[in-house]
Amino acid sequence: MSHSRPHIIVEDLRIGWGTRVLMEHVTFDIERGTTFVILGGSGSGKSTLLRYLIGLEQPMAGRIDIDGVGEPHRYEGVPPFGVLFQSGALFSSMTLADNLALPLTRWTPIRGATVRDLVQAKLDLVGLGAFADHLPGEISGGMKKRAGIARAMMLEPSLLFFDEPSAGLDPISAVELDELIITLSRDLGITVVIVTHELPSIFLVANSCIVLDKTAKGIVARGDPRMLRDKSEIPFVHNFFTRSSPEASVNQGR
Amino acid sequence: MTVAIRAEREGDRARLVPVGAFDVAHAPAVAKAVAHVSSDLEACRSIDVDLTHLDRIDGAGAVLLARLLDRLDANGNRTRMVEDRNPEAARLITLYRQKREEPPPARAQTMSALTRIGVVAADLPIRITDTLDFAGRCAAALPKTVASPRSVDWLSLPRLVQQIGADALPVTSAANLLVGVIIGFLGVSQLGRFGAVAYVPELVVVAHFRELGPLVTAIVVAGRSGAGLASEIATMQVSEEIDALRSMGFDPVRWLVVPRCVALVLVVPLLTWVGDALALLGGLMATVATTDLTPRAYALATMDAITVNHFAGGLIKSPFLALAIGLIACGQGLATQGGAAAVGARTTTAVVLAIFGVIVINALFTLLYVVMGI
Repeated sequence: MSHSRPHIIVEDLRIGWGTRVLMEHVTFDIERGTTFVILGGSGSGKSTLLRYLIGLEQPMAGRIDIDGVGEPHRYEGVPPFGVLFQSGALFSSMTLADNLALPLTRWTPIRGATVRDLVQAKLDLVGLGAFADHLPGEISGGMKKRAGIARAMMLEPSLLFFDEPSAGLDPISAVELDELIITLSRDLGITVVIVTHELPSIFLVANSCIVLDKTAKGIVARGDPRMLRDKSEIPFVHNFFTRSSPEASVNQGR
Repeated sequence: MTVAIRAEREGDRARLVPVGAFDVAHAPAVAKAVAHVSSDLEACRSIDVDLTHLDRIDGAGAVLLARLLDRLDANGNRTRMVEDRNPEAARLITLYRQKREEPPPARAQTMSALTRIGVVAADLPIRITDTLDFAGRCAAALPKTVASPRSVDWLSLPRLVQQIGADALPVTSAANLLVGVIIGFLGVSQLGRFGAVAYVPELVVVAHFRELGPLVTAIVVAGRSGAGLASEIATMQVSEEIDALRSMGFDPVRWLVVPRCVALVLVVPLLTWVGDALALLGGLMATVATTDLTPRAYALATMDAITVNHFAGGLIKSPFLALAIGLIACGQGLATQGGAAAVGARTTTAVVLAIFGVIVINALFTLLYVVMGI
């Protein structure tokens, strides 16, 4: 089977609320098996774009085409992708094991001991094997995110979306999470789409990226993040990757 | 400690000397000194600020001095801080004088009463559309629920029945018992004037079974469980749990709304039935305590008064009232956008709408019964 077709195609997308356009002319492809990062400053619309990619919102114009799914907001059926939300979004009244079992019991005929085995295997994979019977309120923020990743992987998707996976984590937990993402992408061949502005994570995990800017209402740069850091001549992109303020770049220009 | 700003004039030049503690503890005095010195600086072109005599300065004092300098600059004066005398104070003031390049976000303007009416009117079609959209999604969920029972969280049903039904039983029972007592006392005082105390049991039966039993029970459930359901779903909404459900292919209406509505439809008639029985007891207590009617005579009169029409007329309404509470509470919860404040606001709206909805539906049933001659 040929995998030459991009996993996700976004064409001339326009998004916003009511009559207010947040972004327009957004076009990019995401290749299968790569780690793709959506970058941008706070308020640039990264997480909003993600909501459109996973089908929670309907675009004002343009097209999102996920291979095998079509337009995500119209799709009904077994979800072909998993999503890790910023807060983990675990169901607070359920144990971690029940949270992970939920997609299985909804979409597969698997029951009983097999469900428990699969759930335990996924919890072991993310290092939470001993916490199956804990409620989300009893574990740390980093553990919630790892449990969220495990839940997102329960239906063995070929595509995973992560919204700010490192946000609010200590550096060690953030690195552990990055390594887990690399494992998923490299060893399991999963396409990973990450929304973040954590530079260390970007350089560690990303194959390619787009940079969003709220002033431009869309994409201002795309490509390998290391290349953009070293060679981009766009001031916003340069400042973003070198963690410098606009004033600093003006002074450098002088 | 004295706080002042001395102004020393020499022609069109002036020297400002802040004296004392320019900190948050003395902010009112600093603000007064800043306001006072402005009047001494008319026709000045060049103003130096000497910070030597400042005993102390913090952010609050620095902001007030920074704003004074901003105003003077805006009026065409040339201001200068004598920095070498107190560099820390000068740095602090300079920090608060730095202009942010990013324009501030547009602030919501204060609306006049007329504008507010216009905004509400303009918002009305959107609200109606959202309500119809939610009603449509709920209606569409029913056949899908039958076709795919696993798309509903049936496992939560026992917990919901416990929370909405069993846990509410004491309060609905107490409310109905007291309403029965009230009707009893009212009947004794009014019917007693015509020597018709014997009709008090019938009054209690008719008033409570047909109207007040379902209504009182539904209002208590709307206040108690309506708030609980709305806040639970609203919290799930703001903590991205609803988004997570949708991303896993769950329809939140089927997964969350259906079991809650089913639980309400199951338990509210039961609560009403128990409430009816307790209201009869309340009527009996009030009547026996204040008249010569014996408990046996009251019970016999009550049994005579209870008809299928009275009993069923009340209980038929209950599932509809329960459904209204469930749909309003869940609908408000799912419509939540924002943070903790939005959860509170939606919960309040849910309770108000649920109680109002229950009263309206009860009135419509009463009208229907009157038209049908029941």
